[in-house]
Amino acid sequence: MTFERLLDDLIRDTVHVSLPAFIAELIVCATIVILLLGRLFGTDRIVTPRWVAIVGATLAFAASIGQFGEVFASGRSPIEHTALFTGLLIHDPLTVYMRILLCGFLVLMTWLTAVSGIPDREDGPDFHTLLFGSTLGALLMAQSNNLLMLFLAVEMTSVPGYVLVGFQKGRRQSGEAALKYLVYGAGAAGVLLYGTSLVAGTLGTASLAEIAMRMPSVVGINAGPLASPAERTIVLGSLFIFAGLAFKLALVPFHFWCPDAFEGASAEIAGFLSVAPKAAAFALLVRVVQSLFGADSGPIEDLRHAFGIGLAVVSALTMTLGNLAAFGQSNVKRLFAYSTIAHAGYLLMGVAAWMVAGGEAGLRGLEGLFYYLAVYVFMNLGAFAIIAIIRNATFSEEIDDYAGLWARMPIVCGGMAVCCLSLIGIWPAGGFIGKFMVFAASLSAGWVSPVMWALVAAAAINTVWSLFYYARVLRAMYLESPTDSDRLEEIEASPFANALVLALTIPVLLLGVFVEPLSRVTAFVARSIVG
Amino acid sequence: MSPADLIPILLTLAWLAPLAGCVATWVVGKITIERSSKLPAWIAIGAMAISLNLVMIAAGFWWQFAASGQYGLPPASGSPLSGTYYTLGEFGSLNLTLDYYIDSLTILMFGVITLIATAVHVYSVAYIKDGHPDDAVEDHPQPTVPELSPLAAIHDAQPTEYSPQLPRFFAQLQFFTFAMLGLILAGNLLQVFVFWELVGAASYFLIGFHFERPHAAAAATKAFLFNRVGDAGFVIGIVFFLTFFGQLSFGERTVKIGYAGQSVEGTDPGILTANASGIFESRPDEFRKFGWLTTVPEARSSPKRWMFVFAGLCLFAGCVGKSAQLPLSTWLPDAMAGPTPVSALVHSATMVAAGVYLVGRVYPLFLPEVLLVIAYVGAITLVYGATCAVVQTDLKRILAYSTISQLGYMMLAMGVGGREAGLFHLVTHAFFKSLLFLAAGSVIVACHHVQDVSRLGGLRKRMPITAYTSLVGVIAIAGLAIPLIAPFGEAIALSGYHSKDSILAAALSFAKQNPAHGLLFALPLVTAGLTAFYMFRFWLLAFAGEPRDEELHRHVHESSPLMTAPLVLLAIFAAFCAIGGEHGPLFETIAETAVSPSPPLPLSHSADIHGTASLWGLLAATIGAAAALAAYGAGLVDMKRSIAFFGPIRGFFASGWRLDALYRMLFVRPLEFLAFCGSLFDRFVLDGVLHGVSRLTLAVARFDRTFDERVVDGLVNRIAMLTYDTGLSLRQVQSGRLRQYVMALAAAAVVLFALAVVLIPKMT
Repeated sequence: MTFERLLDDLIRDTVHVSLPAFIAELIVCATIVILLLGRLFGTDRIVTPRWVAIVGATLAFAASIGQFGEVFASGRSPIEHTALFTGLLIHDPLTVYMRILLCGFLVLMTWLTAVSGIPDREDGPDFHTLLFGSTLGALLMAQSNNLLMLFLAVEMTSVPGYVLVGFQKGRRQSGEAALKYLVYGAGAAGVLLYGTSLVAGTLGTASLAEIAMRMPSVVGINAGPLASPAERTIVLGSLFIFAGLAFKLALVPFHFWCPDAFEGASAEIAGFLSVAPKAAAFALLVRVVQSLFGADSGPIEDLRHAFGIGLAVVSALTMTLGNLAAFGQSNVKRLFAYSTIAHAGYLLMGVAAWMVAGGEAGLRGLEGLFYYLAVYVFMNLGAFAIIAIIRNATFSEEIDDYAGLWARMPIVCGGMAVCCLSLIGIWPAGGFIGKFMVFAASLSAGWVSPVMWALVAAAAINTVWSLFYYARVLRAMYLESPTDSDRLEEIEASPFANALVLALTIPVLLLGVFVEPLSRVTAFVARSIVG
Repeated sequence: MSPADLIPILLTLAWLAPLAGCVATWVVGKITIERSSKLPAWIAIGAMAISLNLVMIAAGFWWQFAASGQYGLPPASGSPLSGTYYTLGEFGSLNLTLDYYIDSLTILMFGVITLIATAVHVYSVAYIKDGHPDDAVEDHPQPTVPELSPLAAIHDAQPTEYSPQLPRFFAQLQFFTFAMLGLILAGNLLQVFVFWELVGAASYFLIGFHFERPHAAAAATKAFLFNRVGDAGFVIGIVFFLTFFGQLSFGERTVKIGYAGQSVEGTDPGILTANASGIFESRPDEFRKFGWLTTVPEARSSPKRWMFVFAGLCLFAGCVGKSAQLPLSTWLPDAMAGPTPVSALVHSATMVAAGVYLVGRVYPLFLPEVLLVIAYVGAITLVYGATCAVVQTDLKRILAYSTISQLGYMMLAMGVGGREAGLFHLVTHAFFKSLLFLAAGSVIVACHHVQDVSRLGGLRKRMPITAYTSLVGVIAIAGLAIPLIAPFGEAIALSGYHSKDSILAAALSFAKQNPAHGLLFALPLVTAGLTAFYMFRFWLLAFAGEPRDEELHRHVHESSPLMTAPLVLLAIFAAFCAIGGEHGPLFETIAETAVSPSPPLPLSHSADIHGTASLWGLLAATIGAAAALAAYGAGLVDMKRSIAFFGPIRGFFASGWRLDALYRMLFVRPLEFLAFCGSLFDRFVLDGVLHGVSRLTLAVARFDRTFDERVVDGLVNRIAMLTYDTGLSLRQVQSGRLRQYVMALAAAAVVLFALAVVLIPKMT
């Protein structure tokens, strides 16, 4: 095979296979380029950057929706697990599902920034460039098929994130938060990079597909677990990769950055950081687990089982700590930052259940995870969007200042009620279904290891606890009378804001009532992962 | 298009025209700003005129071609046109359909209804005024504000935003006409029932037209409730017949009969060809021919005779309620609370006659036992009505009781086998009774709603048209004639004479064959005299003699032409519609529809029976009329003294045999007692239990509260404090110091690895 032939194949593969499947990301890239060029040539004074962003996001979303048909509409055969760009990325149902979620999220996010006006016109191109860049990173995370790509994607998501946290240039708090996030992130990146290099070095490949094939040749050859140095190295590397992802997921004990960063960042950015990187990191976690522990051999399954129980413990710790810490908060944004941590715990239950149970029962954990993620996109962004909208109206993020707001902003407060109900997990909000699915999966995983039952018990207690601090927000909104009723007089939500709140909260309710369609899709996605 | 196709279309349009008129009247009434606008009334009259014309055209076709059997129309045997408009639903072999069934009886009834309805509509334009109609004031003025003049009291009593009554009245009248025509046109029993209920509803609306008056509202409710009692029986009867026949259609229809997996098209002859008597006398298996019984021949034995009797009685119960026969008769006098044109149209001529019509329509379904019951019910009712009518002093109540009595005649005729005689009387009665009611209405308007005959008198001079047209009606209903002279072969008599004669002849014929039931001839004969008596009393007290109330009399004048023209028209019909008697066109038309096979009770209409009956009847009527003339015309009897003399008996009759009091004792009181017991039970038992429970709940709640506050809250607070403290201490971990964070990161990674190395071997 000549070099020319290789080049030809490469070009053909890139042009005919990779680029068409990559269209949504290309649109995101193009939007970034247009935004930057607009800055350069000054056209941003003619065309508002936020419109460019909205159009770009919408087009990307449309492109990703277009792929939905080809993947799910047939419903029968999962699309080929097409490796793109010489195996760096993978195009499969999970890719498409996450792409739709993230692009849809990007649309809502750009809409939110347009409503709340957090980047002014001057900063618009920069802000949106960063936002799109981080989203692009998240998209790549969800489809990376290579340890190198994994690291690059995580960094691509994180680096714009650091800047976004510190975007409010005047605020000292903001800059400090960004710095903390950056340093912590750098540490985590180091750990992650170390982990990938250990794994890649031991197995001699960075491709996740190859790793899956080579794992059986390393693990469980010698008698006894962790007997060989190579096996110990693999475990150490895996652990470090998990630690790196746990940083993105803000799991205990890698969560320290989260409350500080969220408090320093604006509510919009907090909403972004709480959703997009997390969703992508969960997808990536699933891919890494499937690659490392997906092989069909006894020792590897034992290993997966052990890691699953470890994740279950982390999950219980995360939700407990998140909820406990949320109790004492008087600042709504900080409260929801901890709530986000707790929810990462709930979401992790799905992964843990999958890893512990394996097989058909395990699939239900994954299915629940993906369903929960879809609801989570709406309910968490909804909560933060409402915080931003209320902040714009009242200039406050303190719970006490929410008193009696419902009379002035009925739709916004109604949206907050729906989001809180969903976050607590009360039907008919969609959060109930998501929680129900991961709880059910964990319960059935309990037959494999009773630790999962303990996890479910912990999650149930946490859910009850969480009721109290969410209810505090609602009590302030609906039951308490305002301390300063004159101040409330001028408060009003714009129609666009109300529309956004409806667009975010109605899906939450719909997902709670019409479970069947999406759960079919998530079941399909889950099945396609395990293959 | 042959007349056979055309007639159903014409009659359907004639049926629907009032419905369209109803809607149009209502809409126009809603959008017309002018309160006094008569536009809705004229729209309604236009609809009626269209309907009447269509019926006349249809009737023309029918009689022109029926005789010759041309153009595909059935020959003169009167075999009907039937068909289906629309299938509402099919449930197995059961078809629920909207059918029509047209024979000469249908056409005749259409003609009578549309004619009288048109007359009443025209009459009502003058009768019902605008937003402040005279009639809307008070039929029985209540001197609530004695110091003011009646008119002032009226205007005080009217709320200023009183909704215009005229459109509502005409819309309801139109609706009634529509429903009534629908009842006549209906081609199956279920459909009859639907329209039966619709006319009931229309009657409810119209009786309660002045719903702001308590007695009108109560009368409407009473009428409705009494009809429900009968209709309950009606429904049971329908279901019985449905079970027997598998269908309810009057006319022929093509049906698919499925049996043993095969489907055969056959002609179902309809329920009317199933002669109930014939079934039991000669062909006990005849039932199997009909409907779905065929499909499961072994599943059901042929019905028992008593079941069929029961079913017939149930069906008749509906007719009893609608036609105000005993024991469901007392609603009709109270229904006079409605406006007088309504009484004329609904409560004398058409709706109350629907019961009689239905008996005539489904005549073959009644077994002789049932017919005997019908005859006795009719006989007792006619005596009841007449005796009550004799002592009434209210113009309209006299006529109401008279209506009950006349309906009794019709039922009697049906019962003794004189189906044609009963229907004959139905038609003649419709004309002369609506005439009398309209005349009464004319008097009521002229006398400013004084209806008490003891305050009237001498009105013939002031309002001659009303007086003499009503005299025609009186003579007609009394059945007077000049005997033994028959120029041109025609008896000198008005319609009532002919029809009553026909009934008496049927009764006499029956009594001769069944001497045990001689009462069925004696009662109507005596009552014929009573009828003449009370009708002449009515006329003499109102129109003859000298005015008893000069003050009232001074303001009286003849009503407007809009009111008198219908009177004249109806008077002509009342006089001449039955011309020729049993050989005249009217009777012949009815006889055309003679149900086949012939009625189960054979009648001999031999000339001598006729002669005897008519002589006896005439004698009775003459005696009655003479007695009335003597008592009220010549003034031989002083009313006050006679009232004193007959006091208790008079009271008994005046109150309608104290039936209301009886029903009160039998039904209302027990019900009230039951309700009282219920309320006692409620108050002492249920409430006691409830209070006990609530007290217990309270006590438990108090305990709960203490427990809550002391124990649970204490615990929760303790936990909450603990949680809160933990949270706060966690916040301290979240110190914000970067160095610590990074340290924690590194430490966590190392500790995790250590844990993994220690734990994983143990786990796997």
